[in-house]
Amino acid sequence: MQISKVLAILAVALAAATATASAHHSFAVFFDDTKTIEITGSVTEFRFSNPHAIISLDVKNKDGAVEAWKAETNAVTLLKRRGWTKDSLKVGEVVTVDGWPSRDGASYIRMRTIKKADGTVLGTPVRNQRAD
Amino acid sequence: MTSALRFRTSAVLAAAAVASLAIAHATVSGQSRSGAPAARVTRPDLAGYWAAGRAFRTAEKDPAPLPANTVLLTDAGAPELAPGNFGGLKVKPAALAAALKWKPSDEMTLAKACQPPSLVYTMQGPFPMEIDQATELIVMRLEYYDLFRVIYLDGRGHPPADAPHSKMGHSTGRWEGATLVVDTTHVAASTITNNGLDHGDNVHFVERFWLSADGKTLMARQEFEDADVIENRGARLMAWDRQPGERIYPYECDPTFVLNYNSSRK
Repeated sequence: MQISKVLAILAVALAAATATASAHHSFAVFFDDTKTIEITGSVTEFRFSNPHAIISLDVKNKDGAVEAWKAETNAVTLLKRRGWTKDSLKVGEVVTVDGWPSRDGASYIRMRTIKKADGTVLGTPVRNQRAD
Repeated sequence: MTSALRFRTSAVLAAAAVASLAIAHATVSGQSRSGAPAARVTRPDLAGYWAAGRAFRTAEKDPAPLPANTVLLTDAGAPELAPGNFGGLKVKPAALAAALKWKPSDEMTLAKACQPPSLVYTMQGPFPMEIDQATELIVMRLEYYDLFRVIYLDGRGHPPADAPHSKMGHSTGRWEGATLVVDTTHVAASTITNNGLDHGDNVHFVERFWLSADGKTLMARQEFEDADVIENRGARLMAWDRQPGERIYPYECDPTFVLNYNSSRK
């Protein structure tokens, strides 16, 4: 299984992130909305509960070592309206998550979008990605 | 009590309270307290499901002038204030010192993860609500943290100052034409800006709710003051879109979320 990690801070994405990085649940103090990152990894756990669903991932870094990452999503009630269920992700499947990095440098990302291995975007995209 | 049971209980209580007052929705009629037939007065119909709070659109004009010494915070809806930015509120020294000392990680504990914000930060968020409306009572059921508000329109006052406080407080309301004006006290201390600045137990709110001309948008201006914490007053403009047939979901907050957050810290 190929697991790669891509860290990309893009000017275009930066501008888009600033425009769409909405926030309520302390987004602005926890996450850096001037940067975006993208990680690809294998799902190790999917917790579908409020205040935020959490996707745990094993992500291979540039040195080939596997790092444990967490991707925080919106509140489950909001995700349900966008088509998510508790079975939307399975342990072992490979996904690519893009979003905003933690301000403290932890292996913890605030998810903006998530793609399955076949390129399918999970859930109905929203113009204003809410933080809660 | 589990959050699921609490949600169901609050929903049942809210529904029962409204039913007991004979739901009138948009029309108020009947007899006055003196027994004489009361004039039939049509009120705006606020009942129904209102989709996630969002920022005020430019075209949605606030019909009332902003009171003096009041700053309009710009973090309603999608935006959020960055650390150290309190939106123009003139914070008193002790409160400012506490706010600047605050760290985000302070909130990431099992004890705090599912503590709901108060009225000052719940109404503006990206979650929907349902409103049940009767002649002398309005109930707002918020999806966020399974909270609900009861707004008394029967002329009663607020309870004594030492009565218990809660995150939603004690609300009384009156109609000024087509605008619902709500006065709220007894709100328990909580965050104002979600970045370290808290209000105290003496915070006081005045909210104005009104509908767009087509009835499809509910708008509100929430003003708050707390002389213990801020020298001026704050206000936020909010809006919700009507979506018939929709329902709010149980929130059922799970505090073990923070274990995931903390385990990712180096």
